[in-house]
Amino acid sequence: MEVRNGVAEILVRNLHKEFGIGDDRVVALEDVNLDVEGHVFVSIVGPSGCGKSTLLNILTDIETPSSGSVKITQDGREANSGYVFQAARLLPWRSVLDNLLFVQEDRTEEAKARCQRYLDMVQLGDKGDKYPGELSGGMQQRVGIARAFSIEPDVLFMDEPFSHLDAITARSLRRELHSMWHQTGKTVLFVTHDVGEAVELSNRILVFAKGGRLQDDIEIDLPFPRDPSDEAVAVAKARVLKKFEELDLIAT
Amino acid sequence: MTATAATPKVDKPIRSKKDGAVLRALKSPSFARLLFPLAFLAVWWAVYYTIDSRIFPPPQQVLGFMWDEITLNSLLRYGSVRNNVYGMFAISLARLGIGFVIAMVIGTIIGLAMGLSKAVDAFFHDWIMAILAMPALVWALFLGLALGFGHVGPIIAVALTGLPFVVINVREGVRNTPKDLFDMARSFQVPQKRVIQHVLLPSLAPFMFAAMRYGFAIGWKGLVITEVFASDEGAGWTIKFWYDAHRAHGVIGYALFFILFALFLERTIFERLERRTFKWRPKLSGIDVVEDALGSDTQDEKDFRILERSRAKFEGLDTNGSEKRRG
Repeated sequence: MEVRNGVAEILVRNLHKEFGIGDDRVVALEDVNLDVEGHVFVSIVGPSGCGKSTLLNILTDIETPSSGSVKITQDGREANSGYVFQAARLLPWRSVLDNLLFVQEDRTEEAKARCQRYLDMVQLGDKGDKYPGELSGGMQQRVGIARAFSIEPDVLFMDEPFSHLDAITARSLRRELHSMWHQTGKTVLFVTHDVGEAVELSNRILVFAKGGRLQDDIEIDLPFPRDPSDEAVAVAKARVLKKFEELDLIAT
Repeated sequence: MTATAATPKVDKPIRSKKDGAVLRALKSPSFARLLFPLAFLAVWWAVYYTIDSRIFPPPQQVLGFMWDEITLNSLLRYGSVRNNVYGMFAISLARLGIGFVIAMVIGTIIGLAMGLSKAVDAFFHDWIMAILAMPALVWALFLGLALGFGHVGPIIAVALTGLPFVVINVREGVRNTPKDLFDMARSFQVPQKRVIQHVLLPSLAPFMFAAMRYGFAIGWKGLVITEVFASDEGAGWTIKFWYDAHRAHGVIGYALFFILFALFLERTIFERLERRTFKWRPKLSGIDVVEDALGSDTQDEKDFRILERSRAKFEGLDTNGSEKRRG
């Protein structure tokens, strides 16, 4: 895959989001400011209910912010984005290939060939005419990943894509994802609650605390591919976890 | 117990393999389907010879009557139109079709509105329940009084009896639309038209099918009752004709025509349509699982099977894993 020219940029300014009214009011995000630029893999970690998923939903237009703004651009124009969800969210009544075609801008032969190429990339090239129900959970998630890559997005959002899978499958999918990211040069925003996963995959880790505040921005400056058993990786993980502990103290 | 458990484990698969073919044929659903009409006839004969009544007809008399009707050997012509069995069923089918379409159209509109708005749901809820609770017989009598003998009464009866089932199913369908998939489509900026075609309609399809099936089966019953009481033609009316003539074989014969016709429509239209629409559904059904569990003789064997199955599943996953490592 060719690496796109130009640089994707995500700008988040004074973002605020709350749900409900009166006593039921819940603040999901509070005054979040964020700059992400270029071929980077950014993980967002934090306890559940810290607004991680809400941030992605606002960035992908599924939800609207209460106040503040988000802007995703590529070379000055509006960027397009792909989304990998926690559950694969495939259309059960459409074949695997049709699931990929569903999100294409237009359904040309070229688009079809592109979808097939990304299915090949996730090792499911021969499963195009199967229905999602005929695949294992891991395979379904790979279809979800292929779908997000197949529109060749400038930016890729992923919301705990491996949390439902068994450890072995999750591990091999992480490797696959890393190599796809490496080959395609996308900007990736990856939500997870697994610090080890974040350290293994990312250049940057954003730490969110309860109440939706962005607490820390940690750079992980280690060479890829990273092995979880490697000492430097383990040290980095310990560093982030320590940060977590400190922040949890602040939160309570 | 644990020491001897190994012996039956070795023996049993061999034994079940020997008489497997015969046993499997006897246990197969197609054999059971064939067996049912035969068992039914046997019970019929048994009852006929036990009660020794001159009114209760033996099966051969009813079947002979039905055969004469089908082959038009009976010289009787029914109703004001002097028609035969085919004509009578054609009249009923036309009434059923029109009433059914009315029930589907109105029921879908009300069901959609009820699914989308809580206020509309509250407005219609008790009315739908009231229509549902009303016996079809009351519709038949009332429509006969109000509209006389004609096509309109039976058509309205079909529409009214079928309507609540359509409304309830469509409402459930709308309430169960997959929000996750709509959000997914939105995040990928899929155009509205494509979302309706590929997400909304397929998600409603199972509920529409249920609506059609119930609406059809219940409407069919409503039609027969209305034709008995408020019509001078149609297949339901012929049942009354034979009742008035005090001929039980005619009543039972026409009732059987009704059942066979409903079964025929179910098999030829609904089942095929359903199979085609839902071929994406996973093959394993609840019945298979239950039969499988009942088929094993011992707890040991059951456990062993479950273990085998989960092992196969796990290995399936593992193969994927090693595939990736190679690639």
